[in-house]
Parts: sequence; structure tokens; C-alpha cells
Amino acid sequence: MEPLIRTVNLKKYFDVSGGKLHAVDDVNITIPKGKTLGVVGESGCGKSTLGRTVLRLIEPTSGEVYFEGENITKASRGELKELRKKMQIIFQDPFSSLNPRMSVFDLIAEPLVTHHIYKHRADLTDRILELMEEVGLAERYVNSYPHEMDGGRRQRVGVARALALGPEFIVCDEPVSALDVSIQAQILNLLMDLQDNLGLTYMFITHDLSVVKHISDEIAVMYLGQCVEHCPTKELFANPMHPYTKALLSAIPVPKLRKNFTRKIIRGEVSTPIDPKPGCRFASRCDYCQAGCTGSDIPLKEYSPGHYVACPHCVELMEKKE
Amino acid sequence: MAIPDKNEPGSSLLQIQDLNVIYKTDEATVYAVNGISFELGRKETIGLVGETGAGKTTTALAIMRLLPEETGFIKGGEIRFQGEDLVKKSQPDMREIRGAKISMIFQDPMTSLNPIMPVGDQILESLEIHNSENLSKEDLNKRVDELLSLVGILPQRKKDFPHQFSGGMKQRIVIAIALACRPELLIADEPTTALDVTIQAQVLELMRELKEKLGTSMIMITHDLGVVAETCDKVAIMYAGRIVEAGSAEDVFEGEKHHPYTVGLFGSIPNLEEETDRLHPIDGLMPDPTDLPPGCPFHPRCKQCMDICREKMPEFYTSGEHRIACHLYTKGD
Ligand SMILES: Nc1ncnc2c1ncn2[C@@H]1O[C@H](COP(=O)(O)OP(=O)(O)OP(=O)(O)O)[C@@H](O)[C@H]1O
Ligand SMILES: Nc1ncnc2c1ncn2[C@@H]1O[C@H](COP(=O)(O)OP(=O)(O)OP(=O)(O)O)[C@@H](O)[C@H]1O
Ligand SMILES: [Mg+2]
Ligand SMILES: [Mg+2]
Repeated sequence: MEPLIRTVNLKKYFDVSGGKLHAVDDVNITIPKGKTLGVVGESGCGKSTLGRTVLRLIEPTSGEVYFEGENITKASRGELKELRKKMQIIFQDPFSSLNPRMSVFDLIAEPLVTHHIYKHRADLTDRILELMEEVGLAERYVNSYPHEMDGGRRQRVGVARALALGPEFIVCDEPVSALDVSIQAQILNLLMDLQDNLGLTYMFITHDLSVVKHISDEIAVMYLGQCVEHCPTKELFANPMHPYTKALLSAIPVPKLRKNFTRKIIRGEVSTPIDPKPGCRFASRCDYCQAGCTGSDIPLKEYSPGHYVACPHCVELMEKKE
Repeated sequence: MAIPDKNEPGSSLLQIQDLNVIYKTDEATVYAVNGISFELGRKETIGLVGETGAGKTTTALAIMRLLPEETGFIKGGEIRFQGEDLVKKSQPDMREIRGAKISMIFQDPMTSLNPIMPVGDQILESLEIHNSENLSKEDLNKRVDELLSLVGILPQRKKDFPHQFSGGMKQRIVIAIALACRPELLIADEPTTALDVTIQAQVLELMRELKEKLGTSMIMITHDLGVVAETCDKVAIMYAGRIVEAGSAEDVFEGEKHHPYTVGLFGSIPNLEEETDRLHPIDGLMPDPTDLPPGCPFHPRCKQCMDICREKMPEFYTSGEHRIACHLYTKGD
């Protein structure tokens, strides 16, 4: 079956003072309808850029994006406007993503008004109250402003806005990172319920593996613009293969006191995303770096059904461990 | 300033006594902070933990005296910093204190970044203001590169502007600026939320170093109990503008008695080892801060709620440094 979302060799390069910054470099992902792809990786590795390029909020440098089998890379403005109804985004930052001068009513109304969905004010009001209920926001907040609400409620407004037009696909860009664990759990449960009820498809961006574990069917691990490992969620936690994925998993802070404990820090110079040299971009920080790791690019290879890894030595490494 | 053992680790730097803060909006009065007290010594780090809306940022803004002018008010209490009450200071005095002695890493990085200035220049500027060693321009520039590397950003990017960085990178630049100030008290409001674990580990190590080398005290506002476990000497758990439990890190992580809210907070952490589809948030929501319930503010969500909890605000049960505001432990008295 045709996946809802598919990218082919997607690239986004930015011009910065030092040259061309390869924020997304040759990424191929697919997301089947009704499923969630988790995208994880360190700060600055290109997760948000990938999400925004898929939505065409940013123009790709090259490559293609398919939505329901249709190439939307060259979609016109008019076509894009229609697509916007089907593809939405929820941002991390409930501070800067909501206009501070707009009330909750206006914020949720905005997408509906922009797309001229309702002729009558009463219908608009009904829909807004319905959305507020759907995301668990008490009706009395309808006239509040973002700064008068806490982070959890602000994020519910963000979710309601994204849902307003009845989308099929939502990019969730770190939607819970700024929230405390309890509210995180509430918002994650909300997103999962909405997925069940509305058949939504998600691309879930996060740097927090414990969050993504609960919500994703598959996970793509990114490092400096590239996807270095991709497999079903369970498989990733049971058999992480790329050295970077392993480092990520071992560095998760644990809510227990451990005397004189310091987490393992990945040492070594971060290689530059600006006009990068060919070869593995993690090599300079990798404990297992060998001759073949630099010089030419390392493609993703399928090591077991559905488990793709971009590391020529990952199998040896697995064996060494045992 | 006649504080005797001023540089002794642990000697008191900040004492907050019965602090109350409200916001007055058109519709209602928000009771954001309701009588909190805690003390912080030199070289100590306290973790302020609690759900969204608990009043953590408000507490920090009160200490900085940066509450929104028209709406936010300190309604009572004292904030003693190096023996002087900040509540009574004039804004010009506060500006000086904020520049030199207390700095804050804001929850929203764009509050502290200048959008039209290259990030390297912003770090340099803050180094120049605090250049007590009279380093040359060249040395200061080297220091900028060092600080950028320390927070995991390539120095070659120092000529780029804030909008050219990712969310987490902006947060790290703000941290670099705050560290450049070498403050005596650093208030960090969710400093590592946007950071992945590997970079987070780097940043936390940097903060520990700062504490060791410069004796900086810190207030670490976070919802991440893992981060608290790693960095904090003391912990205060906040709920609806109150401290419901406080003590040393050992007390809060390993003590036998806890506030039911603390128990719920620990219970809602996603567990990597466990196979579950649902997460376990504490049922219900924090009460409306414009209309706080009588009695213990947590009682509507508390599984162990008793009659008295609906009527009377609990006093602190104390055992050494460990305080718990819950009738479960004080009912005998
Ligand atoms: N508008 C832009 N101009 C120039 N460079 C940019 C721009 N937007 C992003 N970048 C760069 O692209 C890279 C990837 O950024 P991106 O925001 O996608 O990272 P991210 O993985 O989402 O990080 P985070 O977890 O910190 O949000 C970074 O090096 C960033 O500096
Ligand atoms: N400017 C304001 N006007 C009105 N109410 C406000 C304002 N700022 C904060 N509040 C309210 O005060 C209460 C405490 O907010 P505060 O920002 O201190 O919480 P917090 O613990 O920092 O939460 P978070 O984890 O979401 O940052 C909340 O109910 C919030 O809605
Ligand atoms: Mg991002
Ligand atoms: Mg806050």
C-alpha cells in the first residue's frame, strides 16, 4: 500500500557565514497511514528542518516529497493551500509559537478563518468549543491569552489549532519537551487517543528516547543531517546497532541518586555540517572508527528485515559485545 | 556587608521567607506563589520541581525582580540575597545586581538573544562587561570560542545570527552567555529541556564545573527528576504555588516518607525498561490558581485524601532538613 508520506533523497542546505550547511542530507523516509514515525537525534541534527521540509514550510534544495502517492515537491501555491488542511504541525515551544496578543478563541479560530471554513460565527464558535473539549481545555479559558496559561494548557491550544482543519498528517515537533513529566504523559496520551479516534498519521520529532518509545511504531535516528539507523521501535530498543544510537540510549538520565556518577559523554570534535567531507559524520566521535569509515559516504544497509543501519562495522560490534 | 564566613561553602547566600506573588489580570487575581520559604548556601544547587503552573518561573522572576510591571506583584515576604532584602531594592540597584551577581537562563531563549546580532558578539559583549581580569580582546575572543565549544557549537558559526540556529542550539548559546557572566547565583529555568541527552550531559557537566571552580550557587528549575538527581544538593517540590516537600536530594529521592504528590510525580516518569502503552499521569489537573480550593491544594487529586485535607492547610512535618506539608504525617500532633 502506498504510504501516506514518503521522501526521496530529500536535501535542505542553508547558506551560512561559513558556507553551505547540510541540515538535511539525502533522507528517505516513509510513514504508513495511521502510524507514527519517531525522529530522534541530537540538537541541531536537522529534525525540525526535515519536518518543515516535508510540510513544504521550507523549500527543499533537492529531492522529493510524496503525500498519498502524489509528488508535492512542486505543488503550486493554490495546491499548497489545500494541502495545508491535510498536513499540520505542532511546535515545541508553546511560548513563541502562539501569538501573545491573540486569545485562545482567536488562536484556534485562525486556521478556520484563513481557510473560510464557516460562514456563520455561531458555527465557528461551536467548532472551537468542540476542539477545546477534544484537547481537554476547559471552556473558561476561551478568552485567556497565552501568557496567562501554563505550558501544558498552552500546548493544548497548539494541539487544538493543529486539529482545527481535520488534518490527516501532523508533524509533532518536540510537543512535550517543554512540559513536566505528568503533563507530558497527559499530552502524549491525548495524542495517542486522537490518533486512534481520527486515524491520524504522525511524524514525532524529539530528542527524548523515552518519550518516543511510547508513541512511535518506527524510529529514525538522525545524525548531522543524515539518517543513520531506522527500524521498528521495539527493535531499536532491543538491538540498537549504530554506535551513535547506542551512545544515545546509554546517556539517558535516571531519576535515581547515584553517588559520584557522571554520565558517559560522547567525546571528540563534532564534525561540521558545513560543506561536510564524505564519510561517516559520527566518525570523529566514534570509539570504533576504522579506516573504511571516512573517505566515502556510508549508505544505509538492511541488516535484518526492516532494520537499516549506516555503519559498516555494526555487525562486528554486536558480536564483540556478546 | 558584614557577613562573616562569606566564602565558606554552604554559608547562606539566599534566604526566601514566606514569599507571595500574585498576577492581577482583567478578569481575576492569580495566586501564583503562596508563601514559599527556602534557603540556598554558597556552592549549593537547589532543584525547583513541579508541574506546569506550579509557580516555578514566577518564583525566579520575583528573585530577579523581573515580574511583569503592570500585572505581577510581590505581596509579601522577603528575598534575602547576601543579607539584603531584594524586595526592597530599587530597580536601578536591581539592574546592577542582575548584571553582576545574579543571572538567569530564561525558559524561552529568545527572551535573552538579540535577533540582529551575531551570536559570538553577544557572548563577547557579556564577557567584556564582566572582564575583571582585564583580558585582551584577543583573549576574550578565544574565550568566546571556548564557550561555544563547551556548549557543543562549532566556533566557526559565531558570525551566524540566532534564527540560523536550531531551538536547542539557541538554548545552548543562552547558557554560554549566562556562564560568561560568572554570576554568584545562577537561576536556570528549564535549561536543558530542548537538549538531547548527550549534549545535556555536556551542559550539566559544565554547570558542575562552574560550581566547583567559581563557587556559583544555582537554582535549577526543571521537571526532569533525572537532571535533579544528577545536579542538585537540595530539592523543593512545588504544587500550586507552595512547597509541598523539600529536603536534601537524599531525602527526596531516597527518604521513606513523601508527599503523595511527590509519589505521583515519580510515578509518571516514562520507564524505559517497562512495556506499557499508556503512561501514568497523576489524574486530574492542578487547581485553578485564581480559585484555589480550601485545605491542602492537592486534595482534589490525592488518592489518600482525608476529611481534614479538605478543610485545613497542613503544617510541615519535619525530620531534620526534610519537610513535608501533608496531614498524613502531622495528624498525630
Ligand atoms: N534558517 C536557517 N538558516 C541557516 N541555518 C539553519 C536555519 N535553520 C536551521 N539551520 C541549521 O540547520 C541545522 C539543523 O537545524 P534544525 O533546527 O533542523 O535542528 P534540530 O534537529 O531540530 O535541533 P533541535 O533539537 O535543537 O531543535 C542546524 O545546524 C541549524 O543551525
Ligand atoms: N503574566 C501572567 N499573567 C497572569 N497569570 C500568569 C502570568 N504568568 C504566569 N501566570 C500564572 O501563574 C501561575 C504560575 O505560573 P509559572 O509560569 O510561575 O509556572 P511554572 O511552574 O513556571 O510553569 P511551567 O512549568 O509551565 O513553566 C500559572 O497559573 C500561570 O498561568
Ligand atoms: Mg528542532
Ligand atoms: Mg516556567
